[in-house]
Formats: sequence, structure tokens, C-alpha cells
Amino acid sequence: MQSGVSDEAAPGGLVGRMLHVSRLATLGEMAAGVAHELNQPLTAIANYAQACDRLLEQPAVDLQDLRTALREITDQAVRAGQIIRRLRVLARSNDMHRATTDVNDMVNEVAALARADAGIHNVRLALQLADDLPPVAVDPVQIQHVILNLVRNALEALDADAAGNRVVTLSTSAAGDAVEVAVLDNGPGVAADVRDLIFDPFFSTREYGTGLGLPISNTIVRAHGGSLGYRANSPRGACFFIHIPCQPVT
Amino acid sequence: MQHSKPQAQPQAPTVFVVDDDEAVRNSIRFLLRSVGIATRPLSSAAEFLAGYSPYQPGCLVLDVRMPAMSGLELQQQLNLRGATIPVIFITGHGDIPMAVEAMQQGAFDFLQKPFRDQDLIDRIQKALAKDAQVRTALREQDRIQARFDSLTPREREVLGLMAKGMPNKVMAAELGLSQRTVEIHRARVMEKSGATSLAHLVRMYMDLERAAP
Repeated sequence: MQSGVSDEAAPGGLVGRMLHVSRLATLGEMAAGVAHELNQPLTAIANYAQACDRLLEQPAVDLQDLRTALREITDQAVRAGQIIRRLRVLARSNDMHRATTDVNDMVNEVAALARADAGIHNVRLALQLADDLPPVAVDPVQIQHVILNLVRNALEALDADAAGNRVVTLSTSAAGDAVEVAVLDNGPGVAADVRDLIFDPFFSTREYGTGLGLPISNTIVRAHGGSLGYRANSPRGACFFIHIPCQPVT
Repeated sequence: MQHSKPQAQPQAPTVFVVDDDEAVRNSIRFLLRSVGIATRPLSSAAEFLAGYSPYQPGCLVLDVRMPAMSGLELQQQLNLRGATIPVIFITGHGDIPMAVEAMQQGAFDFLQKPFRDQDLIDRIQKALAKDAQVRTALREQDRIQARFDSLTPREREVLGLMAKGMPNKVMAAELGLSQRTVEIHRARVMEKSGATSLAHLVRMYMDLERAAP
């Protein structure tokens, strides 16, 4: 038996649990589930409706068949409604629980959560936190989801690069009346021809990407009166940043 | 060469529908039934593979995104088994890159959910036609193979040299036989293979060589 320290890395250990949480919590994945789920009842509704149309063309209409299809259409419409209600709960901004928050504390917590994931991707996670930043009034859980989502994007962006020198940097700084949180990587960056598309829903450069991670992150940051943006990192790589206005809690 | 394949019975083609979502699966079955197409709905790739027979004509309507084994993984499994069943993928919004990969791996076609009923029906009919065409070609190939398999080793040797265009005289010297014996072997090869000319014989021979694994 080794010392108890290594138990942290076991699947049921602290690291394993955190990894699990970070996976489940990633906005992109939640959104993926929602988009895919919504498509299913829509498909079923379209199929039943078109089948009804065809049945009505037939000389002897089987009313029982029609009734079956119509009931299925109702059931599936109700199912779609439930999914949309869940999505609205997810994105509703008045569900926000704003609190005066130290940006560096928030970033440190995200880094702790993402560290195990970074290890799996062979990425070194670095912090560059500015001192004396003013506090911000945000829902820390929502903003942390956004930052975590950006970190996960950065980790995956580095997968194509040779292991050894992969670095993701989390930085905080003052930016006028706002505080900036930036997630920088030294990967290939965002190609010029898709730079205008990355915030569009359903656009993704990844094979299994949903194209919803950045749009939803954007929605959340805007609900806080802030903004989400992209600039190229120097000398190479991507930099996604959020600006959160410094304002007192009202 | 052993040819103990069961003689393919002219079975009715089946449209397999594999989707983990019960509502989608049932709606496709309902839709296709309204136009007289029988389907076999299945809830997982594993369930499909468990009942899969290469002798069953038909086509496969397959959801790309499923838990456990995805549609793409099922397609890879089928490719590994040398299956010829045409696959029509049905995909959600975010799945286009997966659909592209599926097409690169030889999928017959793909449809984005939700789809127009006529689009699905057209594609299924085309897929069934393709499947029938492939099966006819394979049966014809099996029939020719069986005829060539009935050749004796010596006749097969003669066949190989005939395909190279070797004259009887040279062949007799090559095989250490009389020219008369070579002529008899040649006649047997032509008779057993059912070839109507030397060109026909060579064409069948080349086709089989090409098809050989």
C-alpha cells in the first residue's frame, strides 16, 4: 500500500470527482444535450404529421391510425416544451445570484477544478493574476462555468500540438472600468476564415463540438453587462477574454 | 476452395431503423408503413449487430449519435465484416462533421433531422435498388466461381496459361504434355467454365482474380 496521497487520483478520489464535475458542468455539453434532445421530438412530430398527410390521401382512411399519430404528435410537442423550459431555466438571467466577488478567487477555483483535466491533456496550467483588482458583482457559479468552458476549449485546441510545451494561461487584469479574465493558449489559434463564425450557434471546428459553448457563454456574460471576445495570442495561439464591469451590488 | 454458403434465398428486403430514441424510431416506422415499407426498428447498434445476417437484403437507417456504440462505430464494424448493406445516416444539427466522416467511410447517404418524408422514402428506395444490384452481382460472381472451382488442378494450370495467351505448342512444352492432351484440357476448361470464347473466359478469370480477397 502506498501512502494515502495517491488515493486522490483514483476515480472515486477527490481528483476523479472533480474531473467528473468539471465534465458535467461544462456548458457546451449541457447545451449539446439540449439541442440533440430537442431535435428528437421535432423529428418524430414531422414524421407523424407527414404520415397523417399520406394516410388522408388513401381511399379508406383508418381513423385509429390517424388518432395514434395525432396523440404521438401531442406527446412529442409536450416533450419539446419541457426541454425548452429546461433551457430557459439554464439561461434566464434573473436566476442570477449576484454577489460581490473577488475575480482572482473565482479564477483560482476554476484553475483547481481544471487542473486534473489539464494533466490528462498534457497541458501546464499557468496563472497570471493582477493584484488590487476591484471586486465585481456577478453570479460566481455562472461566470466560473464560462471560464471553465473557455479553459476546456483551450485544452482541446492544444490536442493537435506536440506534447511537451502545451500551456494554458489564466490571467486577470484591469481593463478600464472593467476587469478582464483571459484564457490564453499556445496552440494553433483560430483560423482567420472562421474568426467571425466562432460565436455563431452550431458552428464548431471540432468533430464532436456542438457549436453552443461560446454562444451560451456570450449570453451569460452579456447578462452580467460584460462582453466576451477573441484576439490572437502572441507569439501564437488563441486568447479568449471576458470583460466584467466593476460595479457595486445594487 | 470451399463454397458452403447457403444459397441466398430471394428474401424480402428489410429496412432496419436503428435509433436510441423510441419516439423517433416509432415515428419512422409509422411513416414508412403509411407508404407500405416494412421496417425493423432497433434501439441500439448492439441489437442490430446481434441479429445481423449478410444474407438479409435491405438497407439500414442509422442514427449517428447514440450512447454505447455510435452510428459511426457500427458502420466501422460493418465495414470490417465486409458488409455491403447500404447505410443512410440520420443526423442532428451539430453532427455534420460526423456525417461527412460517415460519407467518407462509404455511407450511402445522410439526412438531417427532421427530414421531409419524401427525401427519406426516395433514399430508401435508391438504397434498396443498390443493395439488390450488389447482391445480383455477387450471386453471379459466386456462380462463376463455382464453375471455376470444378476445374482439376491440371485444368487450372492450363487456364492460367491460356489467360496469358500462350499457344498450345508452347504450353505443351511448358507442361511436359502432348499437344493433343493440352487441346483436351483446353476444351474441358471452356466447357466447365461455360465460356463462349477465349475472350469471355479471360474476362471471367480476371474478374474472379480481382474479386479474390
